[in-house]
Amino acid sequence: MIYPLQPLRRQRRAARHLVWIAFVLAGFAVGSSAQQQAATTDLVFKNATVMTASHGTIEHGSVWVHNGKIAAVGAQVSAPSSATVVDATGLWLTPGIIDPHSHSALGDDVNEATSPITPSLHMADAFDNRDKALYQALAGGVTTELLLHGSANMIGGQAVVIKNKFGLDRNAMLFPNAPGSIKFASGENPKRVYGSRDQVPSTRMGNFEVMRQSFEDAKNYMATWDGYNAKVAKGDKDAAAPKRDLKLEALADVLRGKLYVQIHCYRADELLTEEALAHEYGYKIRAFHHALETYKVAGKIASEGTAIATFADWWGYKDEAWDAIPWNAVLSMRKGVRVALKSDSNDHIRRLNQEAGKMVHYGGATEDEALRMITLNPAWIIGVDERTGSIDVGKDADLVLWNHDPLSTYAQAQKVYIDGDLFFSTELPGLGTAHFSGVMHDASDEGSYDEGDAQ
Amino acid sequence: MKKFLLFALLLLAAPAFLSAAESHSKVLAITGGRLLTVSHGVIENGVLVIADGKIAAVGEAGKVKIPADATIVDARGLTVYPGLIDPESNFGLVEVGSDKNSSDLAEPSDEIMPHMHVYDAFHAETELIPIARLNGVTNAVVAPANNDSIAGQDIFIQLAGADRDQMILGRDVALAMNFGANQRRKGGRGSKPEFPTTRMGLVTQLRQTFFDTEDYVARRDAAAKKDDKAFKRDLKLEALIPYLKGERPVVIGVYEAHDVETIMEVAKEFHLKVVLNHVTHSQDVLDKIAVWKVPVIVGSIYDFPRSNERYDAVYTLPAELAKRGVKIAISSADAGGPVSSTSSRNLPYAAGFAAAYGLPHDEALKAITLNVAEMFGFGDSLGSLDVGKTANVVLANGDPLDVRTDVKQVYIQGVAVPMTSRQTKLRDEYSK
Repeated sequence: MIYPLQPLRRQRRAARHLVWIAFVLAGFAVGSSAQQQAATTDLVFKNATVMTASHGTIEHGSVWVHNGKIAAVGAQVSAPSSATVVDATGLWLTPGIIDPHSHSALGDDVNEATSPITPSLHMADAFDNRDKALYQALAGGVTTELLLHGSANMIGGQAVVIKNKFGLDRNAMLFPNAPGSIKFASGENPKRVYGSRDQVPSTRMGNFEVMRQSFEDAKNYMATWDGYNAKVAKGDKDAAAPKRDLKLEALADVLRGKLYVQIHCYRADELLTEEALAHEYGYKIRAFHHALETYKVAGKIASEGTAIATFADWWGYKDEAWDAIPWNAVLSMRKGVRVALKSDSNDHIRRLNQEAGKMVHYGGATEDEALRMITLNPAWIIGVDERTGSIDVGKDADLVLWNHDPLSTYAQAQKVYIDGDLFFSTELPGLGTAHFSGVMHDASDEGSYDEGDAQ
Repeated sequence: MKKFLLFALLLLAAPAFLSAAESHSKVLAITGGRLLTVSHGVIENGVLVIADGKIAAVGEAGKVKIPADATIVDARGLTVYPGLIDPESNFGLVEVGSDKNSSDLAEPSDEIMPHMHVYDAFHAETELIPIARLNGVTNAVVAPANNDSIAGQDIFIQLAGADRDQMILGRDVALAMNFGANQRRKGGRGSKPEFPTTRMGLVTQLRQTFFDTEDYVARRDAAAKKDDKAFKRDLKLEALIPYLKGERPVVIGVYEAHDVETIMEVAKEFHLKVVLNHVTHSQDVLDKIAVWKVPVIVGSIYDFPRSNERYDAVYTLPAELAKRGVKIAISSADAGGPVSSTSSRNLPYAAGFAAAYGLPHDEALKAITLNVAEMFGFGDSLGSLDVGKTANVVLANGDPLDVRTDVKQVYIQGVAVPMTSRQTKLRDEYSK
């Protein structure tokens, strides 16, 4: 098929992933120690309180990690005697924390606010792998992040998924073969950005009409290519290929269901408007982000199969956050919505475990449910739940050892492993990083936490 | 007495609330709880007697006489502690952050604005107060935003009352000062830069202002002696007099070590009674702060370390200061931005985080109760479970500093405040 199945950028990125994977599998000696260890070691955690996130908590449990994957979990595991033993007596072991909404390491490149529809822009192109925010998040137990565009635009562009292997090079931090996600937004932010210039969209009416027009353009583009491809299939050698348009290709990927749609919006009415628009054009919404009023329409959101990535208790900073309540997550969960907590902040990303702990307080979530909100559920939102997000055999060994119950105020991450490799330990000197040397960057003290960008 | 009836009437909206007739005269005995007194340790299975809005007795079960007319509040399994006090809030100065019409945070027109009184702007009916109260915050300092070198004068409030007069416990309790990069008028007040655009300018302007005030006092006193009716009052300079006399504290918001040293020179020159605020990047001068014997409001504990600093460089600041004998308070702000009282309800968790990074637990609780009260002149009436103090008391189902803990009941001046807010009403409406 000459038909461009996926935008060039993605192909190039996928190619880079393949190169990297081949490199690791080949076990070249020139690679960083992280890559080598991931392919060769056996590791066993003994006598931990193992909070699996998928199948409860095992007191005095053990976890065996083989070649970077979880090989066994239980009261006893049969790891080889050559395995490195980590005595976890008195410690808690959880899956690595997953943040489904971060703007870390993107500096002020999160919004191409020159047009409300910019679906072909890739956040990966702005990713600064030496940003100190990644380190600070790592020290808070964060192993995977979905790095998203800001919310100036109705369609901001395509996100990048990273494993927080701080200290490795840029490409080694990209989550291999993670599904693509695209960020939509509606409500006050695009209204403010374009309204301040007397441009469309200055209202929510404008918000959604801009979206419809774009999808109409995309449908037209798809039809043009379908027509061309049909001619080619019939053997028409003179058929002229239509011009490729990166923007419309990206929108076509949305309509074909090739990208997970991640939508920034707040109000209950807007959640329903977004679902209606998705039905109108035949795509699925993977998750609403912020979604602070989900509790008002939780049954409907649950039946759509759309997850939410919400704040634990942030509220009130703008009109559309005025009806936010800290019970949103648990009330929505009880109505059947898949709920994740997220940071949207270089501050809160360092203590998402506490944000989860607040759910025990606000609504009486069990510790298991609360832990899932920062592990397995965000993994699902990103589309990597088969590979990380819980302590289950076969999954990536993304693990955190804590010195207290991780849902308490007092927990500090003691050791953080990604793909079975140690990336952070309080026992290491200086910064506590296992693979970082040199100088950190300061992409931004606050990520895109300001009125112009995120939230 | 009358004001309390009003208070009670206001709170009648809550079904569980005491009736107006019995509210104030009622004697309460909170029994069986774990009392964190703050001032004299922990009492397991304690008794706390409240009468006339004050703490009438506190001690171990069996050693405290429970009055015959007391209503017993069974606190078995609960933790009982004094109401929390937020040392830096903007309650009632802004409602919705993005809505400029709801903001009375700061006057940007001049750097020297001591005659701005928070009590003139305090919006007592703000929705933010009941929300913070639900997590055990019973009192707070309300300060203007940090745009100006001298931003105005703080109030000390109680988070319950019929109107602002009941809620404001102290007017002009402290002068809000700031020093550092943020106060420079690099961008100007309009479009072009204006003096002072440098720290040199800021210091010169401050010193000149204090000299002007001393001169003003001399001229005012001379005029008074001569009974000079033509003497014109200068409200701006007059506002500074109690602070130059060292009668009330000056809270100085400052982040960098070198800025701390510079502004402390100015403070010493004019004998100001200093409380330092933030000191986020002042790790190099903690020993000096201890020598100066100035108290410190630490916060936000979540402020970001610099590049290549250890991740816990700021988390450990409260512990490092306390270790040196510095009296500390902890504020509720989130990282990297202006204070927002939407996060005031997280005050106990900020203190808990300090405890996670080395501050003893009892010191952490003290940093959001008694120490704050003492810094702002309310040490005799608030901040601990002691006889004679105002009965601001919190009952919770566990450690007050843990995010998982649920506050069950808050008492302010001995009255059980309704455990409702705009948010609980939304919760209940949509939970039906």
